[in-house]
Amino acid sequence: MAGSNEVNRNESKMVVPLNTWVLISNFKLAYNLLRRPDGTFNRHLAEFLDRKVPANATPVDGVFSFDVFINRSTSLLSRIYRPAHGEEPQINITDLEKPVTAEVVPVIIFFHGGSFAHSSANSTIYDTLCRRLVGICKAVVVSVNYRRAPENRYPCAYDDGWAALNWVNSRTWLQSKDSKVHIYLAGDSSGGNIVHHVALQAVESNIEVLGNILLNPMFGGEERTESEKRFDGKYFVTIRDRDWYWRAFLPEGEDRDHPACNPFGPKGKILEGIKFPKSLVVVAGLDLIQDWQLAYVKGLEKAGQKVKLLYLEKATIGFYLLPNNNHFYTVMDEISAFVDSNC
Amino acid sequence: MSLYSSGTSAASSAGSSVSSTTKPSEIDGLLAGAGYRVRSSDLRHVAQRLERLDAAMVNSPAEVSQLASDAVHYNPSDIASWVDSLLSELNQTASLPSDLPELPELMVGPGLNQTVLAEDAWTDHDAPQHQQLNNQFPVMTAMEEDSGIRLVHVLLTCAESVQRGDLAFAGSLIEDMQSLLTRVNTSCGIGKVAGYFIDALSRRIFTPQGVGFGGGVGLDPAYENEVLYHHFYEACPYLKFAHFTANQAILEAFDGHDCVHVVDFNLMHGLQWPALIQALALRPGGPPLLRLTGIGPPSPDGRDSLREVGLRLSELARSVNVRFAFRGVAASRLEDVKPWMLQVNPKEAVAVNSIMQLHRLLGSEPSRNSPIEMVLGWIRNLNPKIMTVIEQEANHNQPGFLDRFTDALYYYSTMFDSLEACTLQPEKALAEIYIQREICNVVCCEGSARVERHEPLAKWRGRLGQAGFRPLHLGSNAFKQASMLLTLFSAEGYCVEEKEGCLTLGWHSRPLIAASAWEAPLALPDANSPAAAPGIFVNPHSNPPINSL
Repeated sequence: MAGSNEVNRNESKMVVPLNTWVLISNFKLAYNLLRRPDGTFNRHLAEFLDRKVPANATPVDGVFSFDVFINRSTSLLSRIYRPAHGEEPQINITDLEKPVTAEVVPVIIFFHGGSFAHSSANSTIYDTLCRRLVGICKAVVVSVNYRRAPENRYPCAYDDGWAALNWVNSRTWLQSKDSKVHIYLAGDSSGGNIVHHVALQAVESNIEVLGNILLNPMFGGEERTESEKRFDGKYFVTIRDRDWYWRAFLPEGEDRDHPACNPFGPKGKILEGIKFPKSLVVVAGLDLIQDWQLAYVKGLEKAGQKVKLLYLEKATIGFYLLPNNNHFYTVMDEISAFVDSNC
Repeated sequence: MSLYSSGTSAASSAGSSVSSTTKPSEIDGLLAGAGYRVRSSDLRHVAQRLERLDAAMVNSPAEVSQLASDAVHYNPSDIASWVDSLLSELNQTASLPSDLPELPELMVGPGLNQTVLAEDAWTDHDAPQHQQLNNQFPVMTAMEEDSGIRLVHVLLTCAESVQRGDLAFAGSLIEDMQSLLTRVNTSCGIGKVAGYFIDALSRRIFTPQGVGFGGGVGLDPAYENEVLYHHFYEACPYLKFAHFTANQAILEAFDGHDCVHVVDFNLMHGLQWPALIQALALRPGGPPLLRLTGIGPPSPDGRDSLREVGLRLSELARSVNVRFAFRGVAASRLEDVKPWMLQVNPKEAVAVNSIMQLHRLLGSEPSRNSPIEMVLGWIRNLNPKIMTVIEQEANHNQPGFLDRFTDALYYYSTMFDSLEACTLQPEKALAEIYIQREICNVVCCEGSARVERHEPLAKWRGRLGQAGFRPLHLGSNAFKQASMLLTLFSAEGYCVEEKEGCLTLGWHSRPLIAASAWEAPLALPDANSPAAAPGIFVNPHSNPPINSL
């Protein structure tokens, strides 16, 4: 038993740089301390351990940020990231919501990961990632601080995502020259899952979303797939912890074939014939849940929807957090092309 | 042979085993971007520790769960010390799996196993986080009216004219702003705080002599201030947070000491101390002898307000069987206090408690033998077991008026926003006046009259580090206590954050007040050390110390 765990640890060390290994292992350790066997979550300790960063209206590397209330009554906050235009050394309050000037400005609504329970829009790792997205896509990024499990189960995160989408869609200052807001949805892990569900709602309500970007999206199901069995415990993630997070997010009594978890499963919605946004789905080849992610891609294809799969064979979860590997750059290029192609 | 993949050379100091350009003491740049400080040379060591903990997790999950709920965690940014402390906690509770081969201790060197080095995390590192001192805006309400934005624009233009010296133009803008005010919702948000700032600017422009506070009713300003302070205490959690965070740290620092002495730089009504007295009363092993020295302004009318507070606290101490002695030191300014007035006994464990007082010692220019240096110097010479420092997390001491003004506008805007959640009257109204006075001081006053010289935590870290203080980290227990108390007493929206061993309390994502703790390692004896001289009180009205022995 212990012997095979040793093998497991050695395997993950072989495929990521040392500092990435330390980062992800540190998260893994912290997260293990936070999940309680009875399904509750040590939220105080989680907030204490999470590294956060304030918004900064002073441009850093050409990007500035500020926080807004999407919904004051539910305290739904979002952090907005905008590209600074060379001349401004100092942004003041009148510039924050100044209308965007380019012909076409993509607005990416971003949902951070954390398996529905961890992290925030102001977590350092996600602040860093969003800033990168601004640079790469010449976009405005709106990072949504959605409510988390287990305190707030399904459908809270989706409701918050939906509120954010409506908010973004109604901001005149975010409109491109054609008087429309060019919206993309993006997210990693649970954020990727939220992307799918918010897009679905958008379609049903006739709000146009130009594209979905799902980075290692979090999906699952009752069945134990090959990849789950093969990679259990090998690359930072275990079946057990995945199960815990689903139990924390899904309504009590529901199993993992609930459509939130398994959108193309037995209880899923039919996507044939609807105008679903094109999708870019990034799957890490060493991710435990890849079979579910690949099934998602297949599901979209079978429903006649436009989807591009980017399968990164030797990538683990979290590869996009540090720019020290090829997968990172591959993905950033793909995202840039995906968001650009609609001009 | 390295077990770790060397990674692709894509970016900077990736701490890869093949990199030879990184100096060993350099912090890994990529991890810094993720909020963690790990020296490149420590990566391997940290990885080993993580592995051991991982193995422990697998083999004895129950112990590890226990660890999570019982252990106190400190400074999570410093992964090395965090994992080391977890491991040592685990060592005390369970044994590590024996089948894990003893991993060789690579990189053993002099500095590496110490938890804190003098120049450690406190030097002004050019990490991205530190740049975020500037321009922290209040969290925006998406519904800001056009007029609100315009109002701010004019405010900033006016401030800029003041900075340029064009008072005539600035004066004309006051009128414009007053008319704009009529079109804006002044009961909340930017409209409310704008009113105060227009008022402050107006004073500055039209009464160049510089005024003290805003429209007191002719009562003794110190007394008035106490009343306002008390209502500020009740209306919002900033001072409560300051008190209980400081008390927690002081309690821990006093552990194992039988004679303890707290020096409070601003006694006021002594609101902080009942909780500490009670906590000491309940201490396992019994309470120590507690001495409290409270510093405060002299009372003009023959009252000895310090003594009155001391009497009340003494009553309380008696009722819970804590041996207690109080001394009041009356001084109008902190720099007038001399260490011998405090009568510190070399055998006591001393705690120095400064809640929003240190900034008053700053001038706008650094100078030799400035009041702050002098005071920090004698504090250090007291060899305090702990010094608790709570300060506004703001940049209101910048030399340029416009910068100062802008920062203050956003800072107080956020603070007023948070006050909206309070429904108690007259607490809320008086708390607003309390804040308004601060605003006035920042905006209208100059020179020695300007005492509200707030500086952010990053600057205090540098200053205190240079003065020879070492940080004492506030941990997850203080954090949890603060969070829980906030949920009990205050509206949603307040949030506590941990930042490299310090705690901040803010409104939504904007920190407004920062709490930190420090110790002064044994100083070399010098001429300024307090001798065991008999005490001479500054205030001739002061009576002998109050005892409840």
